Amino acid sequence: MGSLSSSMWIAAQALGADQGAIDATSNNIANQNTPGYSREVPVLNEGAPTVEGDVTYGGGVVLQQIQSVTDQLLQIQISDQNQQQSSAQTQYNALQQVQELFSNPTSGIGADFTSFFNSLSQLSTNPTSIPDRQTVLTAAQTLATDFNSTEQNLDSIQSGLNQSVSQNVTQINTLTAQIAQINGQVGQMQQLGEDPGNLGDQETALIQQLSQLTNVNQIQTENGLTLTTGNGTPLVVGDQSFALQTTAGPNGMTDVSSQGQDITSSLQGGQLGGNLQMRDTVIPGLLSQLDNLASQFSTSVNAAQATGYDMYGNAGQPLFTDTSGPGAASNLTLAITDPNLIAASSDGTQGSNGNIANLLAVQTAALPSGESPIDTYSSLVSQTGNLTDQAQAEVTASTASLNNLNNQLGSISGVNLDEETTNLMNYQRAYEAAARVVTTVDELTQSVLDMGSGVTAAP
Amino acid sequence: MRVNPNYTPEILTDLGAIQTQEQTDTEELATGLRVIMPSDDPAAAAADVQNQALQSQTDQYLQNTNNLDGMLQTADSALSSVITALNQAISLGVQGGNSDLTTANQQELAEQVQSIQSQIVQLANTSYQGSYIFGGTATQTAPYTLDATQPDGVDYNGNNGVNSVEIAQGTSIQTNLPGSQVFQGAGGSVMGALQQLVTALQSGNTTSIGTATTQVGTALSYVSQQRVFYDSAVSQLNSNQSYLQQEQVNLQTQETTLVGADIPAVATELSQAQTAQSATLAALAQIIPQSLLNYLK
Repeated sequence: MGSLSSSMWIAAQALGADQGAIDATSNNIANQNTPGYSREVPVLNEGAPTVEGDVTYGGGVVLQQIQSVTDQLLQIQISDQNQQQSSAQTQYNALQQVQELFSNPTSGIGADFTSFFNSLSQLSTNPTSIPDRQTVLTAAQTLATDFNSTEQNLDSIQSGLNQSVSQNVTQINTLTAQIAQINGQVGQMQQLGEDPGNLGDQETALIQQLSQLTNVNQIQTENGLTLTTGNGTPLVVGDQSFALQTTAGPNGMTDVSSQGQDITSSLQGGQLGGNLQMRDTVIPGLLSQLDNLASQFSTSVNAAQATGYDMYGNAGQPLFTDTSGPGAASNLTLAITDPNLIAASSDGTQGSNGNIANLLAVQTAALPSGESPIDTYSSLVSQTGNLTDQAQAEVTASTASLNNLNNQLGSISGVNLDEETTNLMNYQRAYEAAARVVTTVDELTQSVLDMGSGVTAAP
Repeated sequence: MRVNPNYTPEILTDLGAIQTQEQTDTEELATGLRVIMPSDDPAAAAADVQNQALQSQTDQYLQNTNNLDGMLQTADSALSSVITALNQAISLGVQGGNSDLTTANQQELAEQVQSIQSQIVQLANTSYQGSYIFGGTATQTAPYTLDATQPDGVDYNGNNGVNSVEIAQGTSIQTNLPGSQVFQGAGGSVMGALQQLVTALQSGNTTSIGTATTQVGTALSYVSQQRVFYDSAVSQLNSNQSYLQQEQVNLQTQETTLVGADIPAVATELSQAQTAQSATLAALAQIIPQSLLNYLK
């Protein structure tokens, strides 16, 4: 049989449940702009009914739990997209500096080649002219200087990237330590079947930050998440984090290792992956092409010099110092300072310009690498342009895709003020109604109590 | 379906894209260039490097053409003076062949021919910008010195070398004839004929004066033939010059096509971007304040 006290009990439970629901709503409104926050919904259930005879009495309402609404799969997709996007962005930033070095068609190595050959062409009209010979030397010097500075600039971009690598590793270590701490708690809560709620949101936000730095694999275990790098090096297991180390590698570059093993070449994605890709692959590729160009060009010019005679009637000496291998471009210097040593003559007489044709032939002849000097240089220009263009396209594409994913996640986890306000009003009304039930039951109880006091004994 | 309540990041990205577009357009308008960085169009940037090289090479070919023109004109006018001098020598020879002349008169004529001889040596030693133009490739020493002991009356200090200069891609022009060919050629040696005439006049033998005079005539027509080399070189330079100037125009047009900005299109794009920007901002300003809370008391 129903009783006033059970009605009171149901109303009191409803007051509690509605308070809890208002709590959740309030928390949602408070965190509407918190990055990584997933909205919470109160999970209300009917209380267990009681059966008396043929009548089943409802058991009121129970606030079972407050649940964070999120989508694990979307989160993983976002972290994957994050590492792609920040890798592309990092490479794009560095490539913008690189392509700047090859961007001016009227100065720099390309224009210097032409100036050098033009000065030789000018000399061919008056092979004994000292000013014209001096112009050839000056043009050769400018070319060498621009080779030097282009390579030095690439070197300094590379060492800037190297510094970023160390910084990235420090950031990764800080984040994995934070994640490990939270992950331990989340794991415990999950074992107890509790919703980790805001703690889970915090962990997810930190993992998203981590995935901007490097490619992270997430494996769900019963002790929370296990995080590894793309190739399986552990970063976080349970409440333990595994810090990455930096060690000095060859050429002054920093290597990244984990527990004594060098993992530099296997790191991909994120800022760290982007920095490593630029530092270890893209820039060395450009440097070696520049070195080859410098060494093959100077070798060809020197060979052409050797077929002629200088103003003193001696066989031509090398114009450039012999240079090859890594650093060839930054080591390129002139071997002679006397303009009379330019071997214009083909027969030893001062007035002959016969050997200038041999020197000029270097302009159009293919270098051992397969193209003429200016064509080799212009292919460097198009390479840097293409690399930058590709990186930019990748940034645009991955940003769009990231936006799309975030939008999807937002549609699941985002706090909608209209919705929260409506909920708030509902819970408010429910609370008011439950409170009214309490008052009513109270009045009824009072009536029951008064029932006795108003009755006098029969005479 | 639930929609994402927080759409501002997306709108901000879009606004960022519009601003980037505006920046690019403004830069293109300011520079007049479509390709400012190689990444703007890698293929065009690479082609522009080659185009700039060709342009500056063409400028140099024009410069070469101008330099050579002066030298070839100088050689041509020297040869024209040689021809005048040889005509004088012929008329002196004809005078000397007159049997009424006294020995003293003939000696006088011989001296006049000698002075023509040294005049021609001087002309053969013409230099241009410090280089002797008839010495083959031995341009730093005077090619001719008078030497009565030699059969031709001169020493040739030059050589038989010739120079050539590139005046357009793949086109070279020979820039000199050695003195040995011009003044002592097999087809009529100027120096030899004059020396013979001097000797004949000095000897007073009218027959040999006649023979020598005829030889001077042969030498004259031979030198005239040699002069044609310089004339045609000059006219080749002239036509080359107009070819190069046309080439410059072509290359500049090519450059504009490669990297130049399409100004009207860019300006239109810019104004479209501006419209899009203000529309987005206006819409944003309209939407953001709206929520249920506005209607609750």
